[in-house]
Amino acid sequence: MELVRNCLDKLVVDRNGRQMGRVDGILLECTDGTPPRVSALEIGPRVLGERLHPKIGRLIAALEELFGVADGRPVRIPLGDVLEIGTAVKVDAAIGETAAGNVEQRLRAWIAKIPGA
Amino acid sequence: MKKVGNLLLGVVTSIGGFVEVGSISTAAQAGADFGFGLLWAIAAAGALLAMLVEMSGRLASVSKQTVAGAVRQRFGFHFQLIPLGAELVTDTLLLAAEIGGVSIALKLVSGVGFQWWVVPVGIVAWLVLWLGSFAVIEDGLGLLGLMTLAFVISAWRLHPPVHSVVRGLVPTVPGHDLTHYGFLAVSIVGATISPYLLNFYASGAVEEKWTEPDLWINRTTAYVGMGFGSIVSMGVLVTAAVVLGPEHIEVESYEQAALMFIPVYGRWGVTLFAMALGVGCLGAAVEIALNTGYVLAQAFGWTWGADKKRREAARFSAAFTVVLLAALGVALTGFDPLRLTLVSVALTVVIMPFVVLPFIVLMNDRELVKQHTSGPIGNAVLATLTILGAILALIVIPLEILGG
Repeated sequence: MELVRNCLDKLVVDRNGRQMGRVDGILLECTDGTPPRVSALEIGPRVLGERLHPKIGRLIAALEELFGVADGRPVRIPLGDVLEIGTAVKVDAAIGETAAGNVEQRLRAWIAKIPGA
Repeated sequence: MKKVGNLLLGVVTSIGGFVEVGSISTAAQAGADFGFGLLWAIAAAGALLAMLVEMSGRLASVSKQTVAGAVRQRFGFHFQLIPLGAELVTDTLLLAAEIGGVSIALKLVSGVGFQWWVVPVGIVAWLVLWLGSFAVIEDGLGLLGLMTLAFVISAWRLHPPVHSVVRGLVPTVPGHDLTHYGFLAVSIVGATISPYLLNFYASGAVEEKWTEPDLWINRTTAYVGMGFGSIVSMGVLVTAAVVLGPEHIEVESYEQAALMFIPVYGRWGVTLFAMALGVGCLGAAVEIALNTGYVLAQAFGWTWGADKKRREAARFSAAFTVVLLAALGVALTGFDPLRLTLVSVALTVVIMPFVVLPFIVLMNDRELVKQHTSGPIGNAVLATLTILGAILALIVIPLEILGG
């Protein structure tokens, strides 16, 4: 549970030092008879929305579907891939291998068409 | 040597960037209505702003985090929604008011109605944002902003009675219009301490890669820059007090405010006033828009930076563009720009505790700022004044609206 306090809402950087987002949620695994165990960190606005209200989460998920960026989101980073927890959470992943950069890339494709961008 | 150069540039741009639509209109009204009686409000607000700006620069230099990012990390997303939402609303209103300010300035020199200027001004602001690096935006506009020193020169040349000016630096209860006096005092504080400045300054410190050894640069820039900046605001108040007060001209529009330059600058007065107003407001508009990009990107963990190519920080660039469009929408609804300004600066004071109180907590967190925490006296002064300001604002704003 200390981990929740330590990780939640911190910045996530990948193994190359690139920003992946923030720890928007933490996935707990519950098995009968044992205390809940943290299994993964989650990144994605859908998770953030769910924290406020399940309906907001569903709305954001629907928007992600609509814009075709929903594949692989929210991004889940298994606890075993967490390398270091400091000011930021460093993880053994690369942003390009996950869906964390989907929206950024979609917008980039549009924005790159504007001169000066 | 380079550091001394940076320091000078930082101080000069803070002075140039100090005065914008809010400070010009509140100081002009205060001078016209109460003579030198509200000079103390500018002095107090300037001192508070210097303290807050110094803190945000210290946070950024030591922790490499900005205010928005640190608030999310320390207090969590639920809490952050309050300051984030409040800041986005006030930033959008203020941005609309600044765009209105530039449009009024253009109207003063061209005679063409200000509504016609809103969209062109928005386009110019967006082009500066889209094409300018952080240095161009901060230093370029800050240096142009030195135009606003025209207010200080004018105040100086009007030879105001020194003893009355000094007396104005001490708060007194006026003989008339107590509510209006309180409202203007609150508005001056709100116009001076815009929340956008804190995060903008911290983001600038991160963009310019300040570190712990740079803390003296931060301290000097904050106190000297904001100190001299307040003098520019005082120049507006003194000029208005000497020129408009005795003629009983109340500042109900910017056209009336522009008259304050006539005695000193003659027939160039209105043009010079328009240039100072226009340049000051354009600089503030660009900084406010950029700050909304900073705040959103930092809160949600997107890549950000005015020094990055816009496509390399696509969500950040899209965010400030969308907010600029929203502000243009507000400006186009035809709100009287002076009223819009007064509403947004008064609102700023109401939301101030939600921005300042968590900020004080951050500045006492050794995980973030190591040994560079704020002192207990500074904490107490800031917390007390922010809460008192908000209470006063909640009392005088309804009274002013009902009375006016």
